[in-house]
Amino acid sequence: MKPDVILNSFGYLAEAAGVTIAVSFAGIVIGFAIGGLVCAARVSPRVWLRRIGAIYVSLFRGVPLLVQLLFIYYFLAEFGLDVPAIVAAVGGLALSSAAYQGEILRGALNAVPRGQSEAAIALGFAGADVWRRILLPQALRISIPPLINEFILLIKASSLVSVVGIAELTRVSMNIASLTYRPLEAYVGGGLFYLAINLILAGFGAMAERRLAIGGGR
Amino acid sequence: MNADLLWRYLPSLVSGFGVTVFCWSVGGAFGLILGFAIALARRLPFPPLRWALRAFVEIFRGTPFLVQLFLLYAGGPYIGLRLGATAAGVAGLALYSSAYFAEIFRAGFGAVPAGQIEAAISVGMAPFDILARVALPAALIAAVPSIVNMLIILSKETVVLSIITVPELMYQVQTMAAETFTAFDAIFAMAAFYWLLVECVSRLGARVEKRVTAFLAHDGARG
Amino acid sequence: MIELAGVGKRFGEHVVLRGVDLSVGRSEVVCLIGPSGSGKSTLLRCVNFLESYETGNVRIAGRLIGYEDLPGGTRKPMSARRLREMRREIGMVFQHFNLWPHMTAIGNVAEPLLRVRRLPTSEAADRAMAMLSKVGLAAKAHAYPSQLSGGQQQRVAIARALAMQPQLMLFDEPTSALDPELVGEVLEVMRSLAAEGMTMLIVTHEMGFAAHVADRIAFIDGGRIIDEGSPRHVFHHSQEPRVRRFLQTYHDRNSF
Repeated sequence: MKPDVILNSFGYLAEAAGVTIAVSFAGIVIGFAIGGLVCAARVSPRVWLRRIGAIYVSLFRGVPLLVQLLFIYYFLAEFGLDVPAIVAAVGGLALSSAAYQGEILRGALNAVPRGQSEAAIALGFAGADVWRRILLPQALRISIPPLINEFILLIKASSLVSVVGIAELTRVSMNIASLTYRPLEAYVGGGLFYLAINLILAGFGAMAERRLAIGGGR
Repeated sequence: MNADLLWRYLPSLVSGFGVTVFCWSVGGAFGLILGFAIALARRLPFPPLRWALRAFVEIFRGTPFLVQLFLLYAGGPYIGLRLGATAAGVAGLALYSSAYFAEIFRAGFGAVPAGQIEAAISVGMAPFDILARVALPAALIAAVPSIVNMLIILSKETVVLSIITVPELMYQVQTMAAETFTAFDAIFAMAAFYWLLVECVSRLGARVEKRVTAFLAHDGARG
Repeated sequence: MIELAGVGKRFGEHVVLRGVDLSVGRSEVVCLIGPSGSGKSTLLRCVNFLESYETGNVRIAGRLIGYEDLPGGTRKPMSARRLREMRREIGMVFQHFNLWPHMTAIGNVAEPLLRVRRLPTSEAADRAMAMLSKVGLAAKAHAYPSQLSGGQQQRVAIARALAMQPQLMLFDEPTSALDPELVGEVLEVMRSLAAEGMTMLIVTHEMGFAAHVADRIAFIDGGRIIDEGSPRHVFHHSQEPRVRRFLQTYHDRNSF
């Protein structure tokens, strides 16, 4: 094992780590927006909306991410749209993450003790205000630790976008491996960067969990 | 995509599916065994071992599966490990899942109600008997939902094996797609197939969960 | 049979037991009553060293539990093996039953006989069945705890403790987790146990039971025994204001 390979390619790996983080971040933010819609559909009083939401979740959690990514890629090609690979990559991550985030938000909404909205209604709050002032703030607070966890999962999932050519951490590791003929060092280097990113995120997650428990434990 | 195209490729698709099932089941089985061993070993009063195992779990849970596969397949020879693609695939699935299963079993042990352990202590049971007869069964039962969930996740991870040329279903589909220029149709069919498969397995898993956990209705809570 | 002398225990800053003296003679039934947080459960759990105590002595049939006296006046923690030996002779019944959910009723009762007393399977099964009959649950021998009511589960728990043929039995609020209509069946079993001469130390809120079955009652508050004596004395003639206040609120709550 020659550690200097890792040291020499440190710059490339660091840059690639930035791409990984950026792609994952874009994926989770867009995924949050779509996930919010999915969650809204799942808790809607309208049956057809609920069904669509359920199908979305089942679809994007059931089909493996790699298949989803390749599907989007070929889908766009089939219909002649010349979209840069990055759009397919971020889009794929976002659509997939939306399914999981939708469920996280739904779980968080259910976790808010029902008595709280009941108290608000009894006091005469309008429906929209119950949402705005009581349910949403608490649901969001509860969902932060699992969302940070989702971010960690997305960082790992982003390694798959290497197959559509994005120069993120995994692809750059592959490049280094083929250039230096030292795959062991190349992938250990990439792995170390992934570990570092995820350990930092996990630290944030633990901190978030502690601080949010103070604000409103039951 | 027409019918006799599909017919022509049917043998390779079926074989691919067979490889998928093989990798998933063998990888999953080894992962369960290894994960369980790790969870047990972490309870031993031997700090260096616990630290090392914790590091193992953190590494395999903190890095992407694809990178682990590349490391095994491409990097393996440099530490004397010459694995064929399928062997690397199975080993990769086993190592990857073992880290998650280790955490699942660890949580299972934590979920054993203290009262049950106290009852065993109060009759003078030896620590080994407490572990084997009280803690272990309860932990295993508590772990079932998470184990089922992880096995489903693992089945989806098998498609990643195609990237290191393991001849499982995804690989065969992509080969067929490339040779017949039917990429879109092929991927679409693949997606539909997987969706159906995962949906069925999930429903089955939920039913298995229900039967096993009905067993564990806690005593003190009812009354 | 049980001798508590100057028993003290603290959880960090918080002193839970302050120099408790109590004795329970052979075949005596002693009930510990008192408000929540008074330390009564902790005291009970010190008797079989489920909780450790720091100062004082707890002796079972004359033998110190939890520690071994060293020459020179000091003492060291008792070895795990000896502790287990002593615990075999002490039966304990918990508030939340603590049956093992993956074993049937007879499985629960026989398990300690198999693992601790190391009886052969057939003998363990016979004895377990006999105990279940004794508590009136022979018909439910092969039911799992999740299929039994709370009262039935607690009776199985009592059978499990009894099967070990202990010298004495500890009860930690045995009926507190039960629906009111199920309390009676458990108290009945305890009553007959007392009549047979079992030495019993019971933490309970069931004043009626204590009044009729206990030989002595000890009132604990703030980690100390405030008053002690026959049920008649404690319930009707106690001079201690805390005891009277406790019983007063109890009476208020329970007279309709």
